[in-house]
Parts: sequence; structure tokens; C-alpha cells
Amino acid sequence: MHDLARADLKVGGFVLALGGLALWQAAEIPVSPLYGQVGPKAVPYGVAAVLALLGAGLVVQALRGGWSHTLEEVQDAAPTNWRALVLLGAGLLANVALIGPQGFCLAASVQFVLVAAAFGSSRMGRDAALALVLTLAVWFGFVMLLGVNIGAGLLEGSILRLLGQELP
Amino acid sequence: MLRRHLMLAAPALLAAATARAEQRFPSMSMFIPAGPGGGWDGLGRAIEQVARGAGLVGTFQFENIGGAGGTVGLPRFVASKRGRGDALMVSGSIMVGSVLTNKTPVGLQNVTPVARLTEEADVIVVPASSPIQDIRGFLAAMKANPGGTSIAGGSAGGTDHIALGLVLKALGHSARQGSYVAFAGGGPAQAAILGAQVSAGMSGLSEFAEQIKAGRMRALATTGATRSDPAIPTLKESGVEVVITNWRGTFAPPGVRPEALAKLVALMQEMHALPAWAEMLKTRDWADAFMVGEAFAAFLDRDRAQTEAVLKEIGLA
Amino acid sequence: MSAWDGLALGFGHALTLSNLGWALLGCFLGTAVGVLPGIGPALTIALLLPITFQVEATGAFILFCGIFYGAMYGGSTTSILLNTPGESGSIITALEGAKMARNGRAGPALATAAIGSFVAGTIGTLGISFLGPVVVEFALKLGPAEYFSLMVLCFVTVSAVLGGSALRGLTSLAFGLLLGLVGIDLQTGQPRMTFGIPELLDGVNVVLVAVALFAVGETLFLAWRHNNQKAEVRPVGSIMMSRDDWKRSWKPWLRGSFLGFPFGVMPAGGTEMPTMLSYYAERKLVAPEHAAEFGTTGAIEGVAGPEAANNAAAAGILVPMLTLGLPTSATAAIMLSAFQSYGINPGPMLFEQQSALVWTLIASLYVANIMLVVLNLPLVGLWARILKIPQPQLYAGILVFATIGTYGISNSVIDLVLLYGIGVVAMFMRRFDFPTAPVVIGMILGPMAEQAMRQALTISQGDWGTFVTRPGSAALLVVALLALVGPRVWGAVRRG
Repeated sequence: MHDLARADLKVGGFVLALGGLALWQAAEIPVSPLYGQVGPKAVPYGVAAVLALLGAGLVVQALRGGWSHTLEEVQDAAPTNWRALVLLGAGLLANVALIGPQGFCLAASVQFVLVAAAFGSSRMGRDAALALVLTLAVWFGFVMLLGVNIGAGLLEGSILRLLGQELP
Repeated sequence: MLRRHLMLAAPALLAAATARAEQRFPSMSMFIPAGPGGGWDGLGRAIEQVARGAGLVGTFQFENIGGAGGTVGLPRFVASKRGRGDALMVSGSIMVGSVLTNKTPVGLQNVTPVARLTEEADVIVVPASSPIQDIRGFLAAMKANPGGTSIAGGSAGGTDHIALGLVLKALGHSARQGSYVAFAGGGPAQAAILGAQVSAGMSGLSEFAEQIKAGRMRALATTGATRSDPAIPTLKESGVEVVITNWRGTFAPPGVRPEALAKLVALMQEMHALPAWAEMLKTRDWADAFMVGEAFAAFLDRDRAQTEAVLKEIGLA
Repeated sequence: MSAWDGLALGFGHALTLSNLGWALLGCFLGTAVGVLPGIGPALTIALLLPITFQVEATGAFILFCGIFYGAMYGGSTTSILLNTPGESGSIITALEGAKMARNGRAGPALATAAIGSFVAGTIGTLGISFLGPVVVEFALKLGPAEYFSLMVLCFVTVSAVLGGSALRGLTSLAFGLLLGLVGIDLQTGQPRMTFGIPELLDGVNVVLVAVALFAVGETLFLAWRHNNQKAEVRPVGSIMMSRDDWKRSWKPWLRGSFLGFPFGVMPAGGTEMPTMLSYYAERKLVAPEHAAEFGTTGAIEGVAGPEAANNAAAAGILVPMLTLGLPTSATAAIMLSAFQSYGINPGPMLFEQQSALVWTLIASLYVANIMLVVLNLPLVGLWARILKIPQPQLYAGILVFATIGTYGISNSVIDLVLLYGIGVVAMFMRRFDFPTAPVVIGMILGPMAEQAMRQALTISQGDWGTFVTRPGSAALLVVALLALVGPRVWGAVRRG
């Protein structure tokens, strides 16, 4: 079997599995005794079944050679850039991990630097400076205009204190 | 979490204009387990307005964590404010229901009741063109064939649905037998009633009040203990022993010391006695339902039992 | 009071310096929040509600209306430039708009969106002034059965965005329907597809999903195949609309406006459905020589129509609020609660009891509309230059931007995980040629259609015939059938 078709098979399998997952979650919905003509489970079962069917269809298509080989974009695509993917993934993970404890500005700046690096930027210092200015501007815009604090950490707090204000 | 502190328009300007009482709290954190703009947020803001205006509290820090009828925010309040005597949470009957329906481990029993402040009765309405003329006609129709009278209201398991369930139970039916048509939000529900798409509707009195005044809906009965509107009878007067209201109040975190709790209760009492509070209730069309201490705790137990009974029958608890 | 007297009175009040100031502030704030995905006018107005304690009613409502209209303008800007829709009504705009921007036509796309918004806003505001009460009475005749049939009609739109393979397109649609199911079931209160996570009980936000699919997925896909040597430079091209652009835009503007306004007025309408229908109509009505631009290099008709539909619907939403006191959208509900904090009870008598306020508000809608087009057109050039930002910083910026809207307000890490998780799915969808638009359409229409169907069936006590015996519903189903097979039959006839 061709590599491309094998990838297509995985996609079909994923959709099939998603359909299965949806069927399981649909079965988990408690039966409602309410005087209703169509209960809460009917549509979820329908959607899950259709998804599973479509997944089966994709599997069949993949077994017959798949569809990826017909896509122009796939044929002349560059090889996978692992460095970029890893850096970008790290950026997203860093944001998820840091935004709670460290606040919006720091988390988003780390993300900015990593994503820019993923796309080939080599001047990390400049990116970091740019990101901090950008995120701090956004953060203060929110605090000043809407009175919304979109997640404050050490950085935001200390700058506010420098300005002689309390953290709202 | 969403902390808000408005700098756009300085609220302090207004505060300075009114007479000042002795300051009870230099600062108070106000936790709203719902997004900005809703009923709980509105009550929290009203408390801020009156208490700050009178100088009872220096500043308020608002924190909104919405979601799932307040059950996303409640555990965060319990965890982050435990034992603190300067924190309040706004909540009410909606949360009594959502804690039961969402089967969350943390409930209102995990926080300390401070004061019940406002309440709003539900009203049963029919479209102006309906053949049903009064509450007797409505009850007769419901008794004969509960499924044949479709009733529009808010989301399933909410106050409107529970009120309907209590009426059905009082008529000797099961709460699950009504043809309850849930709508997302008051607008679509009102539209369905105005357009006579449904036979009747149930929702908070203030939501329908203007349509009733304009003669586009006919009010049959309200669900409070006493008349909310002198022209509309209560269900109780009509021989149906049902009393249910959508109430809102304040709660303190778990583990507050008795003297700290007493201070919070005193703050609520002082605020409630202010003319500015009476004024606020009047502008907002909120019914005063002030209740503190043991009475409030006992009420909370009764409310929970009543809600749970209906929710069990409709398969939600 | 006749509409003309009312308008005269309203403009008299609206054109004072302070009220113009409120309108300007509103337009500015609205554009700013409209640009940010996830932060819409409803939330902004909710956050600003406390000013009702300080500012007199007229000023506050002018501010709110400016925010509302401004958000509609702002939402399309990022849709076009960054493929990051700011509002659910701008999602469809991104389909062709982002493709135009990628092919050096960002300027004309932004301009047709801005002018189309102005045209539609004006038509919509004229509708509020002169037709409001009549249209609402008509809209009240629509029940859940009709809404269900209307949504069936909207589902036909999916056929225009299925892409190369029906199998893959429908898989995308089913994925969207699945996402739409997440949360508490409105009719019975039961949790569905939530995996026991409380944050999922309120469902998944459609704007979050759109941003994840369009922007995050695209960024991940580009990183996957990124080649450091070959830096792609996006052409900015001409900023102005050419004579041909005007010729191709004016009909979609008008069609979009007339489609959008009634949807806005409908109590269960909203801004999303008319944008879908407008997109479908433009795609079917486009001149044959431009048909190939749809879905490839971006067709200007596909921006002009949906953008106009979005803005006209936004104007329409104010009609049931002003004439009947019905809050038919989140924004209208918040505005109504603002009325209440002034002790004004919005209802059928609002026009009589508060005529000065209402007419001032309507007049300031005209003012805001003009302000917005005057503010936005000169900015087109500036906005378009955003595309000149080097790729690393541009994509890093887009992701930060998506984060602000998603996390900023809910403060929920779960939302961020969803954003990135769906982004990863979208990256694979892009690689395996699954179209993303059907996901969003399924997610918007699915829950509405399901609830309308079950409401109708509860009312009819289980009689499925209600969908064909009610004349309005039956007529809509026939239109849906015609929309699905009509173009094909017409094409066959034309080919002879």
C-alpha cells in the first residue's frame, strides 16, 4: 500500500473512531422522562451514526487507493518541518501552562517568540521586546477602556504598582 | 476569572455626593458566578452602588466566573475565598436548581448564607387571543389534558419549568406530563406567546409585565405568596398550593468566623435600611425579599426540597 | 408621531456635541472589540452597564448602539485580513475575503465590506424607521415549525462549500453538528457530549471554533510545510475598488441587505443564517466569467453579499427590541437590561412613552453608520499594510490575537485547549482536503434546527405533519428543494 493511501486510511479510521466516541457519549445521555416527542438522545445518535458511516466510507475509499495522491498541494509539498512544528507546539503549550500562574502578557509573549522562531525569525530579543510591548498595550487597553483584567500576573501587577495603582 | 473595575466613568464622583455612614469594610470582593449583564451581576452592581454610595464599603472588586448556572464559579469561590470575612457571592434559586441538575459535588451547602435580598414571582400568561380567560380555565384545561396545553418558558429545569411542575403536582399529575417548550432567552419565548404559537407561557413577571399592560398577553396568576401585582391573583388564592419565586441573595465563603458573618449580615441590614436601596428596588422593579440568619437558612432548605422533588420527577436530579 | 417627525426630533437630539461624542466613542470601541474574536458587542455593553449609574440614558444608548454597529464593521476586517472572524456574523465573510487578501486584493475586499456595511446599515436603519412594526407583526406569525423549515433551507448552503469531495465535505458537516451538540440540552436539561467536564455544559463557542479552524489550523499547516529559505511575500495590490469591483458589488450589497433585514427582525433569526443564504445566492448568481474565483482566488461578490446581510440583520435585531421590547439576541437583551436600570420598561409602549429617546437612538444609528464608513474607508490602506508584516511576526501575532479573545474573557484554560486542539484537527483537515466551512455551518445551524424541530413537535403533540400542513413551513421547504435542485435543472436547461 502506498504511503499516501496509508495516511488516508488513518484519517478514515479517526473519523470512524470519532463516530464511535460520539455513539458512546450519546448512549451516556440520561433518558429523559419528559413529555417530549423527540428526546435528547435521538439527534446525537443520528449525528454519531452518520459520522461513523462517513468514516466507514473514507476507510473504503482509502483501501481503494485513497484521495491524497489526487491532491496537487500534497504532491509538491515541502517535507515536514519538524523544527517549526515543535517550536510552534511548544509555544501553544507554554501559553496554556503559563497564562494562569504568570498572567497574560508573559504567557502570550513567550508564545509570540516561539511562534516567530518557528517561522524562521532569528532575532529573538527583538521579537520578545515587540511581544511585550504588544501584549502590555492590549492588556492596558482592556483594563482602561473596559475595566476588564484579562488575567494578571507578576508583570502586570508590578507595572501597575510603578504607576502607583492597585491591581483592580 | 474576570475582574472588573471601571475607570471609564469614575463611580467615586457620585459616591461623594450622598451622605456617608460609618465605613464597615475598606474593601470587599464581590464574586458573581455568572457573566456580566445578567441578573446576579445586576444585583451585585446594585449592592456596590448603594453600599459605596453610602460609604459602608470603600471599594468593591468584582470577579465574574460564569457557566452552567453558576456551578462553574461556585467551586472557585469556595476554594479561593475560604474563611475570608470580606467576600460575598451573589446567587439565588437558579443555583439551587443547577447544583442539583449538574450533580456537582460543591453546592450551596458549602457556602454560608448571608441574606436573601430580592425575589420575583413567575406569571402564567396566555396570548390575548386565547380562549382561556382566567386561571380557573387554565387549571381546568391542565387538569383535563396536561399534554394538550403547550407552555413556553426558559430552559428545562429552570424556575419556570419547576413552577409548572409544582402546578401539575398540585393538580394530581406528574411534573413530567406538561408540554413544556423551552426557549433560549426571553425574546423567542415571548415571541412564541405573542404569536400564539403556544397555548400559554410562564416566566418572571417583569419579563411579561409590559406585554400584559399593553394587552397583548393576558395574565392569569402569579406564583408568589402574595400578589405581586394587585390586579393578578396568586395561585394560592385560586386554590393551588404553589409558592415559588426566583430569589437572589448573598453568600459568604465557607469557614467564616461567626463574628465575621455577623458583620456581613449587619452590612446587608444597614444597606437594606437605606432609602437608596428602596429607590434601587423601585427602579429595577425588584420585590423586596429581605431575610437573614436562621430564617434564610430554613427557607433555603425548603426551597431545595421543593426544587429537588420536581427535578426528580422530570429526570434531572 | 409620524416617522418623519420622529426622525426630525431624533436628529435634533443626536447631533448635539456630547451625543456625537458618545457615538464616536461607541464606534471606536465597537470596532476594537469587533476585531477581537470572542469579544462581541453583547459582552462589551454588559461590561459597560455600570455607566448607566452615571450617564444619562440618551448618551448611554447612543454609546451602546455605536458599539453594536461598530462591532459589525470591525468583525469583517480581521475576517478578511487574518482569516480570523471576530463575530459569528463575519464567519462567512472570511471564506472569500481571506482568499482575496491572499491574492493581493485585500484593499477591494475591505472596501466592499465597509461600503456594503454602510449600504446595508442604512437600508436596515431605514427599515427600523419606517417598516419596523409591520415587519415584526409578520415575523410573529412564524413558529418553531417555520424556523425549522427555514434552517433546512439554510442547510442547502452547505452544498456550495463542500469542496472537491461530497464524502469529505459531509464529514466536515457531521463534525460541526457533533460540536454543536456539546452542552446542556435546552428542551430536557440533560448534559450531552460533555465528558463530564463542567466547562463544556454551556457548549462550545462557534467563534472559537471558527478561529481555530481558519486561523490556528492555517498557521499550524504553514509551519508544518514551512521552508526557511523561501519566505512568502504577500502582495498587497491596489487599495481602491476598481470600476469593475463596483459593478460586481452593488447588486450583492442590495440583495444582502434585503435578505438580512427580515432575518434580523425574526425573533429566532440572527445574523448568521442570512450570511449563509447570501453567500449561496451570490455563488449561484455570479456572472459565469467570475464563477471560477469562488473558493480559489476569492470572489468579491462573496464578500459584498454576506457583509451586507450581516449588517442589515444587525439593524433588524433592533426592531423587535424597540417595537415590542423583545430581546432576540444577546446584545438586545443586554440593552434591555440597560433600559431597566433607568427605570424604563421596554415594551410595546416604548415608542409612545419614550419617543424622544427612541428616535434619538434611531437617528444616532444613521450617524454611527456614516461615522463608521468615514472612519473605515481611509483605514483600508493602513489595515491592508498589516499583510506586509514579515511572516514570523504576522503569524505569531495572529495566534496571540486569537488567545486574547478566547482566554481574555472566559479565563478558562479549557477554552484555550479547545482552540488549539481544534486547530490541530484543522491542520490535518487542510492536509487531507476536508473543507472547514461546513463545520461552522453545521455548528451554527444544527442546534437551532434541532431545538426548533423539537419545539414544533412538542407543540403539535408529536404530529410530524406540522411541518407540511402549516403553509409557511411548507412553502419554505419547497423553496429549500428548489434552491437545492433548481440551479442544477437550470444549468441542464441552459446547456440544452
